[in-house]
Amino acid sequence: MINGTVVDLSRVQFAATALYHFLFVPLTLGLSFLLAAMETVYVTTGKPIYKQMAQFWGKLFMINFALGVATGLTMEFQFGTNWSFYSSFVGDIFGAPLAIEGLMAFFMESTFVGLMVFGWERLSKGQHLAATWLVAFGSNLSALWILVANGFMQDPVGATFDPFTMRMQLTSFQKLIFSPDVQSKFVHTSIAGYVTAAVFVTGVSAFYLLRKRHVPLAKRSLRMAALFGVLATIGVITLGDALGFVAARVQPTKLAAMEGLWKAQAAPMPFNLIAFPSQTEQKNDGVVQVPDLLSLLVTHSLDRTVLGVDALERQARRRIEQGIPAVQALRVLARDPTNAAALAKFTAHRRDLGYGFLLQRYAPDLSQATPAQVRAAARDTIPPVAAVFWSFRVMVGLGLLMLAFFVLAALYSLHNTVQNKRWFLKVAVWMIPVPFLANECGWLVAELGRQPWTVFDVLPTWMSASTHSVAYMVFSLIGFLGLYSIFIVIELYLLVRAIRLGPAEPGGAGEGRTVPAAAHGGKAEG
Amino acid sequence: MRTFLYFLLFMFLAGVITILAAILGDEGAWYFAWLIGTAMLVLVSAAGGALLDAQEASAAAAGREQS
Ligand code: HEM
Repeated sequence: MINGTVVDLSRVQFAATALYHFLFVPLTLGLSFLLAAMETVYVTTGKPIYKQMAQFWGKLFMINFALGVATGLTMEFQFGTNWSFYSSFVGDIFGAPLAIEGLMAFFMESTFVGLMVFGWERLSKGQHLAATWLVAFGSNLSALWILVANGFMQDPVGATFDPFTMRMQLTSFQKLIFSPDVQSKFVHTSIAGYVTAAVFVTGVSAFYLLRKRHVPLAKRSLRMAALFGVLATIGVITLGDALGFVAARVQPTKLAAMEGLWKAQAAPMPFNLIAFPSQTEQKNDGVVQVPDLLSLLVTHSLDRTVLGVDALERQARRRIEQGIPAVQALRVLARDPTNAAALAKFTAHRRDLGYGFLLQRYAPDLSQATPAQVRAAARDTIPPVAAVFWSFRVMVGLGLLMLAFFVLAALYSLHNTVQNKRWFLKVAVWMIPVPFLANECGWLVAELGRQPWTVFDVLPTWMSASTHSVAYMVFSLIGFLGLYSIFIVIELYLLVRAIRLGPAEPGGAGEGRTVPAAAHGGKAEG
Repeated sequence: MRTFLYFLLFMFLAGVITILAAILGDEGAWYFAWLIGTAMLVLVSAAGGALLDAQEASAAAAGREQS
């Protein structure tokens, strides 16, 4: 059996690298479309200020993109190195989206990024604009495929376990990519990227306005980002609601953890605004509730309920008992694939195979499993409630904060008074880390909430890892953390330097003074 | 000729979008919403920039008239 410490270290390493990687990704996803918006205005109006904007933000985009790709590549190698059982178990399904993601990122996105960066003097205005739009679609579509893969881990549809090849096989590519979980996950994540970029552009523009530098560029960037941000935040909240609704159906344990729901409640269920969940005692302390809200949020009605941890654990116990014959039959089939009785037994219990695997952690010989071991395995099906509960609340709270921020930013900008609101500009600079934090919390909800599974209801995490030694894992963990920390430092250094330097000013115009828009309204160039 | 080629390109794009909408409408409503929503976000934000230019131009013109 795989050493539990190795599994934990593999998890920590993957979580750390994924969280680091996702500091870069959202900015790429969102900034690319903001660049497309800026360049579209440049091409349609011919005003050079928009070219300057597209080039300046494009430079920041490039810094972020390069480091994002570097952190993404090393992260994905871990599937093979640290999660080899997982990779062979679901490789048939996981491999295709991952390969398409790689192809999109390297062929579509990177090719057009090259054209976008080096093509200003070589391509016509229209061709360059097309390249920028393709970068934006390319980066988001490459994210789509990795999210298809992640969506499959949350709700494994379109595939079935084959007892002869001992791995999952794809039955319907269509079901895989159109699953409600995948769809809402993609849109939520992509738009979370838009929100991130909008806050970033608003914050950096506010920094310039506070210092009265590059004012025309900053005012226009802030206006565009604020409007982009308002709509994107509305979108991210809508899709967040859709994700919660999907989770209520396909991942009830995650939902119970998100809501700190230990026991079923009568409809309409109250929403735990604040609570301090205790996993050992299975109760909440210091609860502050909003009546009726939970039913509304997760069932979109006032007369329906969802299951609490107590009922879910009872369900899990039944499924574990049903899973025991499935694993036993599978072992017989591994030795003798022609054994018809074993195949019939397996087919009758295949739905609960994953639950049988869960029990194996406590009872390697399943025929000797005790009720206490079944209870322990059933307890494992509940994710770490406090961590999921609070990550969820921080994400949602920050989402609402950003909505308020963007509404105000849009209002001030539409009145063309934002440059005079120094308090707001200061807040805007301090807002820059907020979406990054919300994103990290989002992934904590999604991934901690899926525990104890790598593939929900099918493959437990404890079985998925590779059989390394603890020393090897400690060495590799330190190496990864060191490397990724260096990446972050480089990113911050390069971004801060580029922001301090500011946009290239043709002839120094605009530096340190307000240039009326009319001054930029000259003839079309390019 | 150039305009005609652009016309063909845009007609082609319109066709692709119509077919995509028909396919995605059934099974991929969120994907479709993402496509439309993203286009809308970009256009609203682009319009916001152009609007600021107009606001500043009219403010500058009003300033000239007063002086
Ligand atoms: C305000 C209301 C929000 C709600 C109701 C909400 C809901 C959710 C839910 C339920 C998940 C878990 C998905 C899963 O289990 O697979 C999630 C994940 C996530 N959320 Fe949010 N969210 C909100 C706001 C935000 C904001 C403002 C951001 C960032 C700017 C964000 C970024 C993410 C990310 C990156 C993930 C992980 C990827 C994914 O599963 O989509 N969310 N969100």
